Amino acid sequence: MIAAGEKIKLATVWLDGCSGCHMSILDLDEGILSVAERADLVYSPLVDTVEFPEGVDVALVEGAVSSLEDASKLQSVRARSRVLVALGDCAVTGNVPAMRNRLPVKQIMQRLYIEGADVNPGVPASGVPPLLAQARPLHEFVKVDFYLPGCPPDPKAILSVLTDVLAGRAPKLPAVKFG
Amino acid sequence: MTPIADIGSFNAAREAGMAKLQPAAPRIGVGMGTCGRGNGAEEVYRAFAEAIEAHGLDIRLAAVGCFGACSEEPLVNVWIPGQPLVILRHVHSADAARILADVHQGRIPPDLAWCKIEEWDHITARIRYGAGFPELPQWSEIPFFHGQKKIVLRNCGLISPDDIDEYIAVGGYQALYKVLIDSRPEMVIEQVKAAKLRGRGGAGYATGLKWEFLAKAKDPSKYIVCNADEGDPGAYMNRNEIESDPHSLLEGMIICGYVTGTQQAIVYVRAEYPLAVHRLTRAVEQAREYGILGPSVLGRGVKFDIELVEGAGAFVCGEETALIASLEGFSGRPRPRPPFPAQKGLDGKPTNINNVETWYNIAPIALKGPAWFTETGSARSAGTKVFSLVGKIRNTGLVEMPLGTPLKTFIYDIGGGGVGECSIKAVQTGGPSGGCIPLEMFDTPVDYETLAQLGSIMGSGGMVVMDENNCMVDIARYFIEFTHSESCGKCVPCRVGLDKALDVLNGFTKGAGNSAQLALLDELGRMIRDTSLCGLGQTAPNPVLTTLRHFRYEFDDHIIARRCRAGVCDSLALSPCENSCPLHMNIPRFLGLLKRGRLEDAFESVILDNPLPASTGRVCQHPCDMRCRRLTMDAAVNMRDVHRFIADSILLSDHFDAMVARVADRKLPPTGKKTAVAGAGPAGLTAAFYLALLGHDVTVFESKREAGGMLRYAIPEYRLPKHVLEREVELIRRMGVKFEFGMPVSSAISLHDLDEQFDAVFLSIGTWKESWVHLPGTELKNVIPALLFLEGVASGSVSQIGRRVAVIGGGNAAVDAARTALRMGADATIVYRRERKEMPAIKEEVDAAEHEGVKLQFLSAPHRIVGDPKGNVRALEIVKTRLGEYDLTGRRKPVPTAEVARVECDAVILAVGETIDLDFARGSGLTLRENGTFVVDRFTLETSRPKFYAGGDVITGASNVSNAMGYGKKAARRMDEALMGVKRFQRLSGGFDASEYEAEPATEIARQRPAELAPAMRVKSDAEVVVGLTRGQASAECGRCLRCDVRA
Amino acid sequence: MPQKRISIRIDGELVSTVEGKTILEAARDAGRRIPSLCHMDGLTDVGACRLCLVDLGGGGRLAPACTTPVQEGQAVITNSPRLLAYRRVILELLLTERNHICSVCVANGNCELQALASALGVTSVRFPYRYPNLPLDLSRDRFVLDQNRCILCTRCVRVCADVEGAHVWDVKGRGIYSRLISDLDQPWASAASCTDCGKCVQSCPTGALAEKGKAVEEMVKQTWQVTNAAERKRAVL
Repeated sequence: MIAAGEKIKLATVWLDGCSGCHMSILDLDEGILSVAERADLVYSPLVDTVEFPEGVDVALVEGAVSSLEDASKLQSVRARSRVLVALGDCAVTGNVPAMRNRLPVKQIMQRLYIEGADVNPGVPASGVPPLLAQARPLHEFVKVDFYLPGCPPDPKAILSVLTDVLAGRAPKLPAVKFG
Repeated sequence: MTPIADIGSFNAAREAGMAKLQPAAPRIGVGMGTCGRGNGAEEVYRAFAEAIEAHGLDIRLAAVGCFGACSEEPLVNVWIPGQPLVILRHVHSADAARILADVHQGRIPPDLAWCKIEEWDHITARIRYGAGFPELPQWSEIPFFHGQKKIVLRNCGLISPDDIDEYIAVGGYQALYKVLIDSRPEMVIEQVKAAKLRGRGGAGYATGLKWEFLAKAKDPSKYIVCNADEGDPGAYMNRNEIESDPHSLLEGMIICGYVTGTQQAIVYVRAEYPLAVHRLTRAVEQAREYGILGPSVLGRGVKFDIELVEGAGAFVCGEETALIASLEGFSGRPRPRPPFPAQKGLDGKPTNINNVETWYNIAPIALKGPAWFTETGSARSAGTKVFSLVGKIRNTGLVEMPLGTPLKTFIYDIGGGGVGECSIKAVQTGGPSGGCIPLEMFDTPVDYETLAQLGSIMGSGGMVVMDENNCMVDIARYFIEFTHSESCGKCVPCRVGLDKALDVLNGFTKGAGNSAQLALLDELGRMIRDTSLCGLGQTAPNPVLTTLRHFRYEFDDHIIARRCRAGVCDSLALSPCENSCPLHMNIPRFLGLLKRGRLEDAFESVILDNPLPASTGRVCQHPCDMRCRRLTMDAAVNMRDVHRFIADSILLSDHFDAMVARVADRKLPPTGKKTAVAGAGPAGLTAAFYLALLGHDVTVFESKREAGGMLRYAIPEYRLPKHVLEREVELIRRMGVKFEFGMPVSSAISLHDLDEQFDAVFLSIGTWKESWVHLPGTELKNVIPALLFLEGVASGSVSQIGRRVAVIGGGNAAVDAARTALRMGADATIVYRRERKEMPAIKEEVDAAEHEGVKLQFLSAPHRIVGDPKGNVRALEIVKTRLGEYDLTGRRKPVPTAEVARVECDAVILAVGETIDLDFARGSGLTLRENGTFVVDRFTLETSRPKFYAGGDVITGASNVSNAMGYGKKAARRMDEALMGVKRFQRLSGGFDASEYEAEPATEIARQRPAELAPAMRVKSDAEVVVGLTRGQASAECGRCLRCDVRA
Repeated sequence: MPQKRISIRIDGELVSTVEGKTILEAARDAGRRIPSLCHMDGLTDVGACRLCLVDLGGGGRLAPACTTPVQEGQAVITNSPRLLAYRRVILELLLTERNHICSVCVANGNCELQALASALGVTSVRFPYRYPNLPLDLSRDRFVLDQNRCILCTRCVRVCADVEGAHVWDVKGRGIYSRLISDLDQPWASAASCTDCGKCVQSCPTGALAEKGKAVEEMVKQTWQVTNAAERKRAVL
């Protein structure tokens, strides 16, 4: 467990998400100060780190797994983190990115980038990661330690969970709902 | 037809029927049930009709129902006036003419005659046929029929179901008449209650109580319903009952109608039974014409009629509230109970629903009384039940046995055991609502409560037998697929839960699955069972829950080892042959390569899968042969002899050095790890070979002077020439394996020493201790255990054995010992206490022994060895055995008789089995089983001591060469994984270009047999008996392969 | 005629109730809400969702509270770890069956399925989602049917058949392939039986049936209105 005085290493990741869950983290408002006392944000789209480091204590992951890149990023996050929290409906259930799952990827690409293009019709191939056949929630790829549903999750719920984890307690979720 | 209104007209109908059933001329009755028709009965009937007409014969022809022995269809019964009724089986239309010719002369064709009936108890009457045909067995002496008590099926297969007169002739409608005339209605209900008749549809509710509820209901528009929606896959007794004897159903319902004051009845029959629908329609018409149905039943002023309604293809409509919904014109979806149909059923009226078979018991009970009925069956459940015995069983068909009969009786006594050489492992009872019962529980009596305790149900009586070729995971998947597609969709647990369960099971059969999903499946199954709205959902998980409970190891195999032992789950195996091979040799690959003439590539393919291909090519028990799909065409592909040819062609040629170098090139870089192998038998040699290829340092410790184990010291020269084995050992040696001979583990070098000096150790010391048989006289001279004898011959220390040798035992060691004795100039007799087909020895070896002149004496148990005053053996005294009861595995226990006989001999060889050296085992400190074999983790082969692995006979008990090698290969893989932390084994086998052995259409030539020495020549020397395939033969054989490894 | 008063135990507490009531009703009268989805006051109960299962003791056979009548001497357990576990699985199964995407649904915040999941602590689903390809029916002038949100509770079927008397809705198909259909499986716009009364929309516990022109979170159902109509009709009949 974390020794007193030591700061835990906190990380946040967004995969195929809208970043709304991260906005919710920012909506902690002054609550973020109590988090900052006990945690170092070692990796996040909100800070300036390039590579996901080893030895992360808690990782909050937003977004569904939609592409090969998402999948491999998630494996690496899981391998390097002690506790992984699925943050938000996309990470927990698939949510909006999963709305494409009923249709074959080829059909979607055709509709969007060929029929739907005014200029230069063509499915992007270079520089973009290949899409998985379906966008699926995190727990279908890696073991998830804790789920925080919501679109986005209530900032108070995020704070409550973080507070518990920082105090070394198993998080007890307040009443939450999907959506 | 005029309505029957008095006893006179009743008797007239009876006489008319008898005149048709037993006319003054011969009568041929062709079994025309659906199964008969499915086997060609219509053509048979037509052939008879045409021949009778063409020759103007005075022979009557009738279409009867089914007598129940479905595997013998088409069945034909023959009545020659004054003679017993004879049942003919497997009758073809081509046989019609000669049958008629014989019958015309008062004879029966002996090749088609099966059994006879001299008198038949229809329960409602006894019909006497006649005495005669002494050479034919009585029907009850046929194993399939022995013990059956035909109450429900009393008329099936004997009378014409299309003729009400024949039904009346055998006592039909007498019970109804009696009830109408004699009894007060309440008495009949009391009789049904006292008879302890329980619903035969599966729930087993007391029928009498249901009738009582109905009788108490005062609403005049109450209903009686017969549930003929028989939906269980594999269950067809109701179908047969209706097709063969529809009037019994009507009679039961009319009796119920009268005694409960009900006037309308409906038979809900599934539309998929067109013949049954037809028969029932005709029966109702005829009953109406006779006034048995209608405004005044038999003229007694009682109103009762029956309507037929066909189902529309939904299994769930067998559930009573769904059935009612369907009758009311709604979709067949169940409704909540309460209210129960007895209070508010069809159209909101009180309704009593009974299964078809329940109704068939009514007339007998009414006529003969409850005391008679309760004589049969068990304490809680009186009477009989009809079971459909199907699946992997020799005698399939409909079997009517008293409730409480053990499962074992159905499977072995009546069913005749498994098909071919396959061993039965489970029986599934009760259809998709039932469960799978494993072999260990085959002595369970078949009854409502006893089966429920095992997690199954009796259901409608389906009994599907499964053998080693059935995959229990796939069986679970199959049943869930069925209930999933039949779910009505109303309640969440069944509608969605079964969908999830099916997903998981599909995943298991395709190699995607993990142990967490097993736990999830179990939890989901229990939840569906406890929360579903109707019986379909509540019982759908039973097949899964019982297979998880009793066949967990098969699930583990699929999930952890990714193997399907039965060879059913295609995604988990390359081909059936590869799957069945203990070494999982890529057989299609070497066949394909050799077919293209690429001998050296084929050798490389073979040796990488199997380091002893020449030895196994001679002595393997070839499980691949039994699974080859080519078997369904002509004969299996002779894979064993082909890889022997490939091995011999390289090992015994001057290509040897070059090929060895090529194989050695595949070695992975040195790892710096030191490994030890104890025992240079097949398991040890295999492990050593692979460990060396994987780059490890390997030392093999062997107690004897040379390598080979059983291959060298037990298998004789004429089966496996030692110079061939020597080459294989040399190849292994050149991979870098070091051998230390004369170094037994535990005395010369201890486990502790091995632990200190090596990073991982594989123990494969085999079972070299002879099982002793406690016979008086074993202390005499020239009584020798088989292994000791064979070892002695192999090492040269034994050169003679007497002139007349008796060998006790039935395994390969016994056969080898006998054939070796022959070659030493002696006479040999093998003495075995069971029958030939039960001998564990490889069949070809037994046949070869016989050809060479070994005498085989069966059903003979050794009693004592008789000696002379000088201590020499004079004879072996044996006790003749007879085969007694079946044990759970289907083998009959040899029971000693009083008959004693002598086998004159001057030497006795004991070949009753080998066991582990218990002293070593106990001294090792490793965890052991009761019989002394080492306990290992099933998947990693680790013993209880870290770093120590074990495989081969030392963990399985005495087995065979290829099984032992399979463990050696697996151990090398696991040891390497543990040492290196990574899975590396597959790196050894890459590099084969699939285009080099692309599939081509298979040829139609017959299986190639290797040349053999003439039997008379064989015993003159130790020369190898089986010479092997020629090059041309081997190539031709490769062309026979169907390439099951190629997938679309 | 006054109904006979009887006593039963609910979760150990002795409760007085009237013969003819269901366990669900008696429990609610006594202040205990048993979860349900296919039940709606005023409509006949079908016992389909299985959420209201209660333990009647004596062997553990569970009974649906909505269709089981009270009986003198009954001892009912309405909540236990086992019942809670089963209710959660039922909700998990429902959530994976079709495409329930709360964040973009008109009924977000006013949905009985969502509320129950929240109340029972279902925060994740262990089973894989099916993502079936289901259509929307936008043909009707004022209403929408989104099959992706339907849980096959059949409240719309019952209200239209029994209260409005039009029987527009019914269920076709079997098992997991069951589907709500209007009239003879035709677009809602062409369903001549429909009177546009909107009772089905108000009865629907999720966002499957909704009014056009509502955005996310705006579809608030007035189920009580339908209940009133149903009870008035029953009183008259």
